[in-house]
Amino acid sequence: MAAPTVTADTTAIDVATPRRRRRSVEGKPRIAVAFTLLFFLLLYLPIVVVVLFSFNSKKSLSAFQSFSWRWYEQFFNDDQLISSLKASLFISSVAMVGALVLGTMLALALEKVRGRPARAVGTVALVPLVTPEIVTGVAALLFFTGLGIHLSLTTVILAEITFSISYVAVIVRGRLAAVSGEVEEAARDLGCTAFQAMRLVTIPTILPALIASGLLVFALVFDDFVLAFFVTGVDPQPLPVRIYSEIRLTISPAINAVGTCMMLVSVVLIGLSLVVPRLFGRKDNGLDLLSGG
Amino acid sequence: MAVADDSSTITKPTRRSATHTRLWGWLLLPPAAWMFIFFVSSIVIVVLLSFGHVGVGGRAVFGSSLENYRALWNSTYLTVFVRSLIYAVATVVCCLAVGYPVAYTIALHGGRYKNALIAALVIPFFASYLIRMYAWSTLLSDEGLVNTGLKTLGLKDGIRFLNTPGAVIAGLTYGFVIFMILPIYASLERMDLSLIEAGKDLYHGPFRTFVSVTLPATRAGMLGGILLVFLPALGDFVSAQLLGGPGTYMIGNLIQQQFFEGQNQPLGSALTVVLMAALAVFMVFYLRATQRAERET
Repeated sequence: MAAPTVTADTTAIDVATPRRRRRSVEGKPRIAVAFTLLFFLLLYLPIVVVVLFSFNSKKSLSAFQSFSWRWYEQFFNDDQLISSLKASLFISSVAMVGALVLGTMLALALEKVRGRPARAVGTVALVPLVTPEIVTGVAALLFFTGLGIHLSLTTVILAEITFSISYVAVIVRGRLAAVSGEVEEAARDLGCTAFQAMRLVTIPTILPALIASGLLVFALVFDDFVLAFFVTGVDPQPLPVRIYSEIRLTISPAINAVGTCMMLVSVVLIGLSLVVPRLFGRKDNGLDLLSGG
Repeated sequence: MAVADDSSTITKPTRRSATHTRLWGWLLLPPAAWMFIFFVSSIVIVVLLSFGHVGVGGRAVFGSSLENYRALWNSTYLTVFVRSLIYAVATVVCCLAVGYPVAYTIALHGGRYKNALIAALVIPFFASYLIRMYAWSTLLSDEGLVNTGLKTLGLKDGIRFLNTPGAVIAGLTYGFVIFMILPIYASLERMDLSLIEAGKDLYHGPFRTFVSVTLPATRAGMLGGILLVFLPALGDFVSAQLLGGPGTYMIGNLIQQQFFEGQNQPLGSALTVVLMAALAVFMVFYLRATQRAERET
């Protein structure tokens, strides 16, 4: 939670004890370094394999024949998969906007309002972060069917917003905690209305956090399987749900092509969310924001 | 407006902050209402429905019987509960065993590559969990890359990975190890490295220094990691579905079956409540442990 302070600590240590640091490197870590390398190797192995075999000209998943776009052609000619892809992009966009609006409201309000009700809301808003997705999924499914709401992309969007508000709130609150409210107070003393102070001071200060959390929510919702699986209707289904039913039937290399595209989307988004806060000239990057959550 | 208020400079701040707070209070309302309607009340529905039953035409009906919980008290379900607990604990142990050395190496020996390494660590975890599990299932299958490799190395029959508990636990570990690494990394970063130096002078030998200095200093991080791994691992069903089989099903698979195959929503709700109860018990122990850790440091 206190991750934003981490960067400051590191630089302090770097400056103060370069010599000691080097000595500890010589100490014992050869085996630890080897272990870490092995870990990274295993971490990337399945991803590399999916990408590699998405370009395989044969159907095999164990022998690479030669390069081909065959599975990508199959993916882009599959109407069902394409409509699922569009559905997923739509869900993620709408859920991102919804979660950003509600999450930012929550973060701003919790920063200003004291007292028990506000604290209770703050605590409840953290619960989805530690609730296994299957519980959230079951709850959302029963909620919608109980009210007689037909399951569709709309129900997926509603459930995804609920699940994403907490991420936005945590990240934005982290940013708000890092800047003091005094600048805003000063703006008010200089004659700004509450709305002007918000527009001219508060929103620009939290903008990096808004961008980072928006990208994060988009990626999380785009990839989310469990929640979508529980509350989606029949047609069109979000891409991960569609993939799941395909995997259960057969193993087809076309799935590798879909998977590669999906991973590309999330990697680009997460990469951006790491880089964008830096463009605002802040020393700590989006990583601290993310690992803080 | 500011001019008119000039005469009462002393009351001005309080008056402004009062309207201020009311304004912010209104801002709190929409998200609070949203969370209440879509999250809190839907969890309440799960609990209520767990006392219900399946009525005429297969529709779930609310009720007040313990029938569903009684139905869960048999060896089939109990086996799955115990298995889920064992898998989740094993996952936590594996994540600690794998995650601690990695966090330690990056934090203390990462040097100027530290941030790049953490980014390289975080990025794969945002590739879809489903796709990563699918990737392991193709890699470990009988005709997969790993077994093909083993066969060319001379192991004639290869090794059966899929449908074993090991594969499910490995999948869970792979899926959630990041939640162990990041908190441990953060607590190692916060730690004063001169403590290790002092420890070396005091205790001699890196092992004793590690046990009596580094390990206690990172206790909060480890506890956080244990929580963040245990919670999703206990509720997971994707790993057991793709890397395991009916013999390795966890409580999540049972829940999923009740809602999609069995069509017994009340029984599925009761299973979900059991899962939530297990997690709540774990949370209580966790909060006690963190409080104790805080008191001691």
